[in-house]
Amino acid sequence: MLEYLAYLSIMTGIYGILSLSLNLQYGFGGLANFGQVGFFCLGAYTSTLIVVLVKGPFILGLLGGIIAAGLFGWLISIPTANLKEDYWAIATLAAAEIVRLFFLNEDWIFGKGPYHGGAFGIGGIPRPLQSWFSATTYPFFYLCIVILCLIVTYFVIRLVTDSPFGRVLKAMREGDELPLAMGKNVGKYRMKVMALGGATGGLAGSLVAHFWSFIDPYAFMPIETFVVWAMVVVGGKGNNLGALVGAIIIQFFYSSTQFLKDYIPIDPQVLASLRMVLIGVLIVLVMLFMNEGLVKERKRIYR
Amino acid sequence: MIMLEVVDVHKSFGGIKALDGVSLGVERGSVTGLIGPNGSGKTTLFNVISGFYTKDAGKVYLGGERIDELAPDEVARKGVGRTFQISQAPEKMTVLENMLLAPKGQMGEGLWNALFGKRRVLNQERHNLEKALGLLNSVELIDLRNEYAANLSGGQKKLLALGRILMAEPEIILLDEPTAGVNPTLNKSLMRLIEDLRRAGKTFFLVDHNMKVISEICDKVCVLDFGKKIAEGTPREIQENEEVLEAYLSGSSKKWTQKVGIDS
Repeated sequence: MLEYLAYLSIMTGIYGILSLSLNLQYGFGGLANFGQVGFFCLGAYTSTLIVVLVKGPFILGLLGGIIAAGLFGWLISIPTANLKEDYWAIATLAAAEIVRLFFLNEDWIFGKGPYHGGAFGIGGIPRPLQSWFSATTYPFFYLCIVILCLIVTYFVIRLVTDSPFGRVLKAMREGDELPLAMGKNVGKYRMKVMALGGATGGLAGSLVAHFWSFIDPYAFMPIETFVVWAMVVVGGKGNNLGALVGAIIIQFFYSSTQFLKDYIPIDPQVLASLRMVLIGVLIVLVMLFMNEGLVKERKRIYR
Repeated sequence: MIMLEVVDVHKSFGGIKALDGVSLGVERGSVTGLIGPNGSGKTTLFNVISGFYTKDAGKVYLGGERIDELAPDEVARKGVGRTFQISQAPEKMTVLENMLLAPKGQMGEGLWNALFGKRRVLNQERHNLEKALGLLNSVELIDLRNEYAANLSGGQKKLLALGRILMAEPEIILLDEPTAGVNPTLNKSLMRLIEDLRRAGKTFFLVDHNMKVISEICDKVCVLDFGKKIAEGTPREIQENEEVLEAYLSGSSKKWTQKVGIDS
């Protein structure tokens, strides 16, 4: 039970990073990124490539994942910088699928060695300092790594959203006209936000790859993006703490519903779909009764 | 000396010629008015000057430098400050946040300084904050400084727009209907404020429908009708101009029906 809790907490931490990242993009910058999972995927694969093929250390993999996903975020925002919200959403959705399909089809990158890649996935991804711990204590060590990363991410994003940079983002989410009239280069801000959002998403990806020690392209389906969206919307967009609260609630809600099968006689496959439906119901309820989310956006008071 | 010069600017939307060869100049340190019936091209001209629309032909100069090829944010950084006819204030930001958005060259707007230059950024913020509070005093929004812009009335949003644009310290200020929806008392203080700022050396170019405002504060008035400049002069000259009167009174609607008749 304790190990299960550790597993759950690690996944909550990783999704918390993803949720903070999406909140920066959508909650503050108004960028409806429907391809958040693309950063997650790219981070996971880049880190795996570095650690498995180049035999680099874990920390290098982590950095590689962050940089690759950050660059990717910056790159996709160049052609899309002037798209309106809904078109931006479609473009980002497509970008994430491109990343996933690339790793699904281009299995040559993992060579002819023991690692298959492609649809078979990659197993045996080393976990950092695994030999130092027993199988039962390792998750708790990894939990510490995840929490450390989560804290750093939280404070970095907090610094950004509290700064004048964050103020411009907040202006942008209500339309481009005013920030443009104030001399702000809106396109450049979008690129920076996507780069930072990408980098933090990549961090989450690296963390998940070394925790699962197995990844395949099916772990990064578009549905994952919507789980992160549910976290931001339920927790409260435009509030960093809200993004974390949302991550905790959705992750625990999603995980606890799998035990429903012990109480109601139900086909496991039906239940799997039903759990997603329940998240949908939760979103609708929050939208109806607390449309700003559980934690409201904080009003900024200057003194 | 001419601060802003518009030379033979054309702009069409489909078959409608919104601006049909408009040329005019705004003197440095003056208050110049732009009037004309609805749909005569006033806001279109503002949008062309501020870079929000790209002109079809013509040139725009600011202090002798061409600005008509620039993006709107570049035009703004060159020193053209504009307000909008309909409030564009970010509603989920407070009045003070709105004000602090405006200053140019804010260090903390760079990602690097936002992360690593907190002290320097805070110093600049403190300076801007003081200035913002001073300006909010003059536009009489000081008591509402921590209120979301969404909760302001239409008139208060106009005042906020003026205050915000002053924060940016532009060379020339383009005001699109600054007095529309503002109550008479507030209107008077707004006019006094513009008068004071002009005396302090600011240049204004403004669109308004209130002839009383125009004749009281403008040094010069330009009149647009169907995308053409039909008159230019002091407010008194304009009020006595036959063509202007015709455009404003029955003339406009007569011309309109004629145009529609020809097109259909």
